[in-house]
Amino acid sequence: MMLEMTQKEEKFIIPIGPQHPALKEPGHFEFAVDGELVTDATVRLGYVHRGIEKGAEARNWNQNLYLVERICGICSHIHAFTYARGVERLAEVEVPPRAQAIRVLVAELERIHSHMLWFGVAAHEAGFDTLFMFSWRDRETIMDILEGLTGNRVNYSANVLGGVKFDVTDEHRKTILEAVDFMEKRTKHYLNVVTTDAMFLQRTRGIGVANLQQAHRLGILGPTARASGVKRDVRVDAPYSAYKQFPIKMVVETAGDLEARFVVRLKELFESYRLIREILNNMPEGDLQVKRFPRRIKPGEVISRVEAPRGEVFYYIRSNGGEMPERLKVRTPTMMNMASVLAMAVGHQLADMPMLLVGIDPCFSCNDRGVAICNSKGDHDQWTWERLRQHGIDFYAEKV
Amino acid sequence: MIKEIGELLKGMSITMRHFVTPPVTVQYPEVKRPVRNRFKGRHELKRYDNGLEKCIGCALCAAACPADAIFVEASENTDENRFSPGERYSSTYEINMLRCIYCGFCEDACPTEAIVLEHNYELSFYDRQSAIYTKDMLIVDVPVNGLPTPQTVEPGIFNKAIPEMEDPK
Ligand code: SF4
Ligand code: SF4
Repeated sequence: MMLEMTQKEEKFIIPIGPQHPALKEPGHFEFAVDGELVTDATVRLGYVHRGIEKGAEARNWNQNLYLVERICGICSHIHAFTYARGVERLAEVEVPPRAQAIRVLVAELERIHSHMLWFGVAAHEAGFDTLFMFSWRDRETIMDILEGLTGNRVNYSANVLGGVKFDVTDEHRKTILEAVDFMEKRTKHYLNVVTTDAMFLQRTRGIGVANLQQAHRLGILGPTARASGVKRDVRVDAPYSAYKQFPIKMVVETAGDLEARFVVRLKELFESYRLIREILNNMPEGDLQVKRFPRRIKPGEVISRVEAPRGEVFYYIRSNGGEMPERLKVRTPTMMNMASVLAMAVGHQLADMPMLLVGIDPCFSCNDRGVAICNSKGDHDQWTWERLRQHGIDFYAEKV
Repeated sequence: MIKEIGELLKGMSITMRHFVTPPVTVQYPEVKRPVRNRFKGRHELKRYDNGLEKCIGCALCAAACPADAIFVEASENTDENRFSPGERYSSTYEINMLRCIYCGFCEDACPTEAIVLEHNYELSFYDRQSAIYTKDMLIVDVPVNGLPTPQTVEPGIFNKAIPEMEDPK
């Protein structure tokens, strides 16, 4: 690997990114090194900022469902789910039980494909490309199911405000159950590999330890936190939607190292398989959507929390009684977990950095949320969508 | 030592097993993987069996589209020059395939089930202009027993724009 080195105050700083062969998505990291050991780390994010929150203020409630789905390419359903849940609460609409069950079903299928994707990427970063190919091949089973169920492999657009778009037929039920059986067998095998393969363990065991205190202090979320012994899972702490009828068991490990993160995510998959079977075998009957969903939503504000594959997704939605939201604030788990990478990096070899980063299952496009634009005087002011758009046009016109 | 050789053989046996199992990948574009029934690909504008267009130019799809991908312009139907049942038809219908996110919301919004996301996913263009699909490109061929539009019809038959439909299953 070719690295560009600069010397700053007697420290060697290795800048990585925003474009770098070791990074799959753009982010800028600066590692201060002493030989091979990392002594300090900083991160700069925001290279894929798309102004989604601002964009949401210029689209109506329904159109936003499709916009928020595109915040993340992997957990797309989760974002739409969180948003729909918030808006439905704001409008005081009760979603029919069958629709809730289908939402959770898709969410769990998505968790499986997300964890399998992460597993492959993590194996690849560890230099175990065979495992990467195997896990991605198996992931295709789930992608096929999702395509059969929703019509799309990603960005399923399963939700509408007040329900879901499609039904799960008996035929789907059969294929899903078959696929889940297959995946369960494979996951057992993978769990065996990550806990016994000597070469793999050298890259994971005891690396990047975040203990319970650290995890609490850094506010880590999701499987990364559960690997450090933090009992935190929105599905258990504040059951929502169909998780009330179909409760889930929290998977917690205490070691806090990379191995524990592998184990937590893989063990979580077994819970997902169990839940999917349970939902399919006890699918509530009834409508898929409410009859009518209001176009305008009465004034108010709401928060909505959902457990995504990477941790808690948090939405704040405010309505002023119009056809569009007045404010939509999204907080994604990767944003919260990023600080932990920096904290864990200190004291590790430079070569461990990709593994550490991948350990939190980062999603860079999820990172780039808030926008504060400073003018040359250094003070902030609020920009309208038009002004932001014009700024973009002018900016690029100058470049050409 | 024996153990190591055993491990090696175990590893090689896995390799050999995969050597003879058929690959899971397909040789696209020679071999195409069939899409699922509900797959949302390129749109098609449908016709009735008699060849009349289902689209009545109401632009509900354009209003529903979250990506502002659709442009519809409607004109008046007459019985001598009839494109679709009812008063109006879409004289211009364009979808910008670079904007479209294939969400299928236009499909849901359409009162006559005129626009349907079908199974074609091979969309590529050399320039931005050719990403705009016009009505000629989107509309399906005239069915065997139908006549091309515009048709000349008896007055008073095709007054109703929206046919009787059952709830989608
Ligand atoms: S599929 Fe969605 S984005 Fe594409 S034209 Fe229809 S409504 Fe618009
Ligand atoms: S496709 Fe359907 S919704 Fe769109 S203009 Fe035609 S009839 Fe109206």
